[in-house]
Amino acid sequence: MDSAKFREMFLTEATEHVEQMIAMLVQLDADPEDRDGIDALFRNAHSIKGMAATMEHNTTAKLAHRLEDRLDKCRKRGNIDGNEIDWLLEATDLIELLLNDIRNERPERDVADFMATTPVTTSAMAEPTTNSVATPTSDVSLPRVIKLQLKSDVVAPGARLLVLLKHLSAIGTVVDSTPTPAELLELESPHQLSVRIVSDLDPEQLRQGLQKYQEIETITFPASATGPKPQQRKTPAKTVRVSTELLDHLISLTGELITNRYRLQGGVDKSNWQEIDAGVGQLARLVKNLHHHVLQVRMVSLEALAGRLTRTVHDLSRSNGKTVSLQVEGATIELDRTIVEALTDPLVHMVRNAIDHGIDVSGTICIKAWREKDQIHIQVSDDGNGIDIEKVKEQALKQGLLAPSQVKTARRYDLLQMICQPGFSTRDSVSETSGRGVGMDVVKTAVEQVGGILTIESPPDKGARITLKLPISLAIVRVLMVECDGAKMALPITRVAQTVEISPDEVQSSGKQLMIEHQKELLPMLSLRKILNIPKRAQHDPIPIVITEVLGRKIALVVDRLVGQQEVFVQRLPEPFDQVRGSSGATILGDGEIVFLLDLQSLFEHRKRCAAE
Amino acid sequence: MSKRVLIVDDALFMRTMLRDIFEAAGWEVVAEAEDGKQAIIGYQEHQPDLVTMDIVMPEMGGIPTLKIIINADPLARVVVCSAVGHRNLIMDAISAGAKDFIVKPFQPKQVLDVVERVISE
Repeated sequence: MDSAKFREMFLTEATEHVEQMIAMLVQLDADPEDRDGIDALFRNAHSIKGMAATMEHNTTAKLAHRLEDRLDKCRKRGNIDGNEIDWLLEATDLIELLLNDIRNERPERDVADFMATTPVTTSAMAEPTTNSVATPTSDVSLPRVIKLQLKSDVVAPGARLLVLLKHLSAIGTVVDSTPTPAELLELESPHQLSVRIVSDLDPEQLRQGLQKYQEIETITFPASATGPKPQQRKTPAKTVRVSTELLDHLISLTGELITNRYRLQGGVDKSNWQEIDAGVGQLARLVKNLHHHVLQVRMVSLEALAGRLTRTVHDLSRSNGKTVSLQVEGATIELDRTIVEALTDPLVHMVRNAIDHGIDVSGTICIKAWREKDQIHIQVSDDGNGIDIEKVKEQALKQGLLAPSQVKTARRYDLLQMICQPGFSTRDSVSETSGRGVGMDVVKTAVEQVGGILTIESPPDKGARITLKLPISLAIVRVLMVECDGAKMALPITRVAQTVEISPDEVQSSGKQLMIEHQKELLPMLSLRKILNIPKRAQHDPIPIVITEVLGRKIALVVDRLVGQQEVFVQRLPEPFDQVRGSSGATILGDGEIVFLLDLQSLFEHRKRCAAE
Repeated sequence: MSKRVLIVDDALFMRTMLRDIFEAAGWEVVAEAEDGKQAIIGYQEHQPDLVTMDIVMPEMGGIPTLKIIINADPLARVVVCSAVGHRNLIMDAISAGAKDFIVKPFQPKQVLDVVERVISE
């Protein structure tokens, strides 16, 4: 069997089972007599066991088998108790670690210590104590090798071996065979077949089944070579599971594109402009449709992530002795897979923060996801103590993030953002879970790396609320094109509040700073030319302006010209251009022109830092 | 109840020979077919427990025929019959879903061993 090819499939599926198990275990904690839930867990464990054994990941298979055993007992008893849930959660975590080992092509870690443990069941219906000893695990179905030798006078031996191989496939899972079925077709007259098979039947039962074939001379069961076969080190390609329905749709769209090509070709041949025009219209519709569906391939819902967070809340509230409930809204919202993956750890951290720092004894954490125009917003809020702004000030002073002269004038928004500075903590003693390791700075970086924005709010006495504004997809972004010194530049539309054109008479000044009034708010006017160190140009009338938000503050960005909105395919800049400050990527327009995506946030942060130094 | 078989072969000689072997062993031959088309009709009509199928037949050969039968009834038990020289055809037939094969010239015992084994699985 091509292990590299199957490994990724195995890992994907096993991980899904683990995620489902975690979510289900947490649910069962609330409803320990949910038989369907216990059944589902049992099936998950069973599937992991079968797959792991087939792939010869024996430690994982044995551990999954242990879980299956325990769940079988729960199933028979019709309930599951708290200690069992904790034990099973621990086991599930271990499986996850083992899967990680497999993913990174490391040998599976030793889990003997855990295998020696048994959950202490306090349930009145607990089974007799005979189970206090770890169950032997030799009965896990690991692949077994069967060697068959045909009699020398058998006619069509290749076909005979093929029939035998089919017989074995019907009673178990054939891992691989020598020769392979394809080789059997090629070989002149093979008489031997060696098969690795996972089957619930024992060798004697297997032998009985095979003895019906008089063509076989000998059946042997050589001991399986110990340890996994040396595997070629291949980096498994990242794979995505796609529903067949979606795939069929893509195929049929491709088919329509081919038809469209002939229609256009026909139009060109006959110089029939009407036909070409209609064809281009059809092409536009098809491409839009195709684009929409292709993007869906990368979309995943937040459900798996929500399950993990539920688990985090469950574990932490137990270990901290707090009563915390988690509300999740909008878990069905879909986001680009990369974004969801990048956000997993940050969200776990935010939830930890809420439990560790926010909630005293009991409270609620609420995670809400919703779509707003081209963005997905994810909000983590709690009804705890909120962020102590005075402590933030104190700490910011101590760390030199804030000058003493700024203490009074600093805006609440800016102060709250300071908790995202590396090494910032308002806690003197670091707790076990948060306050150490991943801090809010890492959360902020992760969010910004996927093109998102993080805002922190903490109204006095109302807990803390952190909102992540994220793009739906990383690849295709709607942008506003602007022009500056003859070059086109793009701003993600998510960052643009509005575009306006004002006459020079409307410009006001406050000290050295030019301002404009926009929706009854005075906004500082900043010139893109100045930011990019391009010489000024003569003032135009009207002045084209983009109202955008940078570092939590609305600004009026003066550009040379507003070009328009467009959907573009954004590519990351290759090395060494990825080092260029102020650009988060680039896109190539239909006419071949390269347009850079402006990252105003980083440009401003740089300017601020330069000013401070 | 005796087991029911459909015999498919373009040669009357082979059909007769197989009929004798089956009937001697207590099987009921529900029909004979001399080409693929008749075989498919016969299978639908009689739903036999087993089909013996000659691979090489004019018009529609044994392999496409057995594919159609298995497609309609995935549980159909088809045993193909062929001359030793047609090794690759036997392989193709098995890949296409035949349960087993018999090589001509037949030995009655060999035929019965194979069909009894197929029927018992």
